[in-house]
Amino acid sequence: MLDQAKTTRGTEDTAKTSASGQGFDAVSMAKRIFTRLEFRMLALALLIAVVLSFASPYFLTRTNIFNILDQSVVIGLVSIGMTFVILTGGIDLSVGSVAGLTGIVLGLALQDYSIPVSIGIAVLAGAGIGLVSGILVAYFGLAAFVVTLGIMAIGRSLAYILSGQTAISGIPSSLSEIVYTSILGIPANVFFLGVMYLLAWLYLTYTKGGRTIYAIGSNKEAARAAGLNVLFYSVLPYVVSGAFAAVAITFSIAQILSADPLAGNLMELDAIAAVVIGGASLYGGRGSIIGTLIGVLIMVMIRNGLNLMGVSPFWQGSAIGTIIILALLIERLVSTRTSQ
Amino acid sequence: MLLEAIDIEKTFGRTRALAGASFDLRKGEIHALLGANGAGKSTLSKVISGHLRPDAGDLFYKGEPLNLRSTRDALAAGIAIVMQETTLAADLSVLENIFLPELGKSGFLSRSRMRKRAAAILDDLGQADVLSLDTEVSKLSAAQRQLVEIAKALALDAELIIFDEPTASLSAGEVERLFDVMARMKESGRALIFVSHRLEEVLAITDRVTVMREGATVASGRETASLTQAEIIRLMVGREIGAIYREAERGEDKDGAPVVFEVKNIAAPPAVRDVSFAVRKGEILGLGGLVGAGRSETAEAIFGMRPRTGGEMWLGGKTVDFRRPAQAVRAGVGFVPEDRRVQNIVPDLSVKENLLLAHLGAHRGFGLGYKARQKKVDELLKLLDLPGHRLFDASMLNFSGGMQQKIIIARWLLLEPKVLILDEPTKGVDIGTRQAIYELLQKIAADGVAVVVISSDFEELLGLSTRIVVISDGRSIADIESSALDEEKLTLLAAPRTSMRKNTELLGTLAKDCGGAGFWALIDDDDLICLNSVVAAPEASPGFSAGNAVDFDESAIPKGLAGRGQDFVTEEDGSRSTLIVPIRSHRGHDFGWVGLTVPGKADGLSAEAIRKQIETLNA
Repeated sequence: MLDQAKTTRGTEDTAKTSASGQGFDAVSMAKRIFTRLEFRMLALALLIAVVLSFASPYFLTRTNIFNILDQSVVIGLVSIGMTFVILTGGIDLSVGSVAGLTGIVLGLALQDYSIPVSIGIAVLAGAGIGLVSGILVAYFGLAAFVVTLGIMAIGRSLAYILSGQTAISGIPSSLSEIVYTSILGIPANVFFLGVMYLLAWLYLTYTKGGRTIYAIGSNKEAARAAGLNVLFYSVLPYVVSGAFAAVAITFSIAQILSADPLAGNLMELDAIAAVVIGGASLYGGRGSIIGTLIGVLIMVMIRNGLNLMGVSPFWQGSAIGTIIILALLIERLVSTRTSQ
Repeated sequence: MLLEAIDIEKTFGRTRALAGASFDLRKGEIHALLGANGAGKSTLSKVISGHLRPDAGDLFYKGEPLNLRSTRDALAAGIAIVMQETTLAADLSVLENIFLPELGKSGFLSRSRMRKRAAAILDDLGQADVLSLDTEVSKLSAAQRQLVEIAKALALDAELIIFDEPTASLSAGEVERLFDVMARMKESGRALIFVSHRLEEVLAITDRVTVMREGATVASGRETASLTQAEIIRLMVGREIGAIYREAERGEDKDGAPVVFEVKNIAAPPAVRDVSFAVRKGEILGLGGLVGAGRSETAEAIFGMRPRTGGEMWLGGKTVDFRRPAQAVRAGVGFVPEDRRVQNIVPDLSVKENLLLAHLGAHRGFGLGYKARQKKVDELLKLLDLPGHRLFDASMLNFSGGMQQKIIIARWLLLEPKVLILDEPTKGVDIGTRQAIYELLQKIAADGVAVVVISSDFEELLGLSTRIVVISDGRSIADIESSALDEEKLTLLAAPRTSMRKNTELLGTLAKDCGGAGFWALIDDDDLICLNSVVAAPEASPGFSAGNAVDFDESAIPKGLAGRGQDFVTEEDGSRSTLIVPIRSHRGHDFGWVGLTVPGKADGLSAEAIRKQIETLNA
C-alpha cells in the first residue's frame, strides 16, 4: 500500500513539473492552479456551499455564516497542531482527550488563579503532554499511532479522576469575553483563529523549522544527512498539537462556562479528517495549513447544513463519513487523471 | 532456441526503461547481457523472471508464448533469477533461505533431504566448510549472502537461470568457484544469462553477448570470441570513449600538502571494525573495496549517521567527534550518501529547496537565510551547467540521474566544505554526465577541498584518485598510491578475509614448520603489493606486511624477490633465504605469488616439498 502511495506521489510530481516548466501562459497557469490540491478542495468547498444554500435558504445568511465560522474555531485550532504532526508523517490520536484533560486543568486552575494564569497553566499542561508523546515517538522511535493511543487513554482517565467524574461549573463568566468581544467587527474567537492560521502558514512556509518539518515528513533520512535537526523538529509538532488542544478547549469552555471531563471526545477524528481533506498525505511531507483550513470549513459546513435540513444526528455520522471518503476517492482519481 | 524476447517495452512513469529490447537464448549456453548503468539490463532480467510485466512485446519460451503473471509462474516454467540486491529473509537460517521458494509449494518438506541437497550445493560453491546451514542470514557478510542467494537459485534446479551482477561482492576465488559451477550447469544443458559490468568476467565465461543501450538492444547474440573488450565498450557507450577516465587526469601527488582530515581506528560494528585514513588538502582519496566491505558504513559512521564505538578523528588538526550529521555539516564536512532516492532527495520539496537543504542544516537563524546564498547558488548553477529556471520545479524526481546528482553535489559545494565525502557519485549517472562529475571533483580538489570518493567501479577509482585506501571486512588493509595499482591488483587486495582463510592457514603452517615468515604478494618487475603475511620468526620478516606496496629495495629480501627460481635464494648478507612460488587458478588466472622467508641459509629445507605444499592452493 505504501508503495502505491509513493507511486502516485511520483506521478503527481510529474504533473506539477510539466505545468511549471513552460512559461506562464494562461492555460498552463490554470492547469497549475488546478493541479494544486488546495484549489481543488476550495472548489469542492464552494460546491458544497452552493448545494447547501439551495437545500436550505437559511444557509447563506449572515448569521449562519458567522455560526459556521464560530463552530470552526475549536476544531480549527486542533487541526493546526494536527497538521504539524501529520506533515512529519506522524499522527496524534490524543488531541481529544488532551483537550478534555486540559479543560479540567483550566477549570481547576480558575478556582485559584486569574484567567490569564489559568489559561497559561492549561496550555503548558497540553504542551507538556505533547512533549512526552513527541519524545516517545521521535527519540525512542515508538509508533506514533500507539504512543498517542496510549496517551489518549491516560488523558481521558486523568480527566475523570481530576474532575471527580463531574463537570466543573462555576467558571468565571468573564472568560467568555475571549469569544464574545468583537475585533474589527469580527468575533474575537474567529479573529484569533485567523491569526493563528496566518502565523502557522508563515511558520511552515518561511522558517527553517517549517521547512524542516516538511523535509522530515518527505524524507527523514535525507533531512538527517543534510544536517537538519530531525529530533527537535520531530518532537515540536506534538508539543504544538498538545498546546493547541488546550487552546481549543479554552474557547469551548468560554462558551459553555463548564469544563466537562468528556469534552473533546472523538475530536481527533474530526481533526484528522479535516487535515486529510485539506490534501495532506498521512505519509508526511505534503499538505498545507491553508488546505487544512478548507478541510475544517468543509467539515463544519456539512454538519451545519445537515442540521439546517433537519437530518437526524444519528444519520449525520454516516453522511459525513461518506462525504469524506467520496471526496478523497474523487481527489485520487482526478489527481491520477491529470498526471497522465 | 530456449527463450526469445522480442521488442519488449516497459515504462515507469516518464522513464522508458525498455524501448524495444530483444534477446534470444539457446540451450546450453552462457549468454552475457551487457550495458552501462540504466541501459535496462536489470529491467529485462526482471521481465524474463516474472518480477515485472512488460507493457508491450512478446516472450517465447520453448517455442510457446510465455505469459508470466508472477514470479511463481516463472519458477513453475523453470526460470530463476539471482538478484542484484539480495532478497533473503534475514531472520531465517541459511538452509531455510535456500529452500524459501519451496515453502510456497504444497506438500511436505523433508528436512533431511533438504539438508543434504543444500550441503551439496554449498560444496559446489566451495563454501561447505565456511558456511553453516544453521547460521542466521543476518549474521553473514555481504559476500556470503550473495552466495546464499546463488545457492537458492541453484536449489531450484531451473532450466534457465539469470545471474544479475552476482560477482559485485565476491572475491576473486569465490568468483572462480561460481564460474566452475556455471560451466557445469551449462554442460548439463541449462541456459544461463549473465549480467555484469566486469568485462574480463564476461570474456572469460560467456559464449554469446547481447549489448543494451538506453533500453534497446544494440548488438544481439554476438559470439563472445569474435569481440574485443574495446568493441564491447564501444557498443555499450555508443561512441569512442576509451579515454573517459584518462581524460580526467589523475591528480598529482600531494605529499607536501597538509592533512585536512584524519580518522584513526574508526569502529561501528558489525560493518565497520577498524578503519584509518588521512586525506590531504587538494587530494582525491579513494576508498576501495568490494560491495559490502563496509565503505559506506564507514562514511556514515564518520558523519555521525551511525553510532561509533571507537576511533578518533581530526579535522584541520583539531579533534572532532561527530555524533549527529548536523555537527559534521557545521564543522565543514559534506557527505553525499550512496542512495539518491532514499538518502538524498526530498521529493516534496522544490528543486531549489533541495539544493539549499544542507544550507538549512548549517543555518543558525529562525528564518530561511536563502538570500545570503543566492550569489553562490548562481555561481554553482553556472559551474554545473544547470538551467536556472528548473530550480523552481516542484520536484527533482523527474530529472535525469545525472542532473539529480549534480544538484546533490551542489548542495554541499554551496557550504564551501573543507572535506567532501562522496559515496558512489556516478551510480545511475549517464556516461556524459559522469565526465562532468569527474571534472567537477577534480576542480574542487584543485580549489583545496579534501575529497574522499567511495566507488565499486575500480576503473573509476583508479582514474580519479591519487591514493586508494582498501577496505575489506570493515578494516582498512592497505593505503597505496593509485599509480602502483591496476584493477586486477585492487580486486585481489579487496578480497574479504573469509575467502583468505585457506591461504592464511597455509602461510601459518609454512611459517611455523620452517621457523620463518610466509607471505602472499603480487609481484611486478621491481615492486610488490603484499596481500597477506604471517610471521612466525621475527628475524625472518620480509620487511613488509599485508597491505604494503614496496619496491624490492625497500624490502629485506630484494634478491629473493628478484630471483624467482626453483630454489631458495639467499640474500647477500646471508640473513634470510626466500622461496617464491607463483599461484595460478586452473582457469589460468594470475593470483600472485606465495613466498616463504627463513632466517639464514635454508639448510635442511626441501624446496621441492614446500613448492608442492604451496601448489595445493592452485586446486
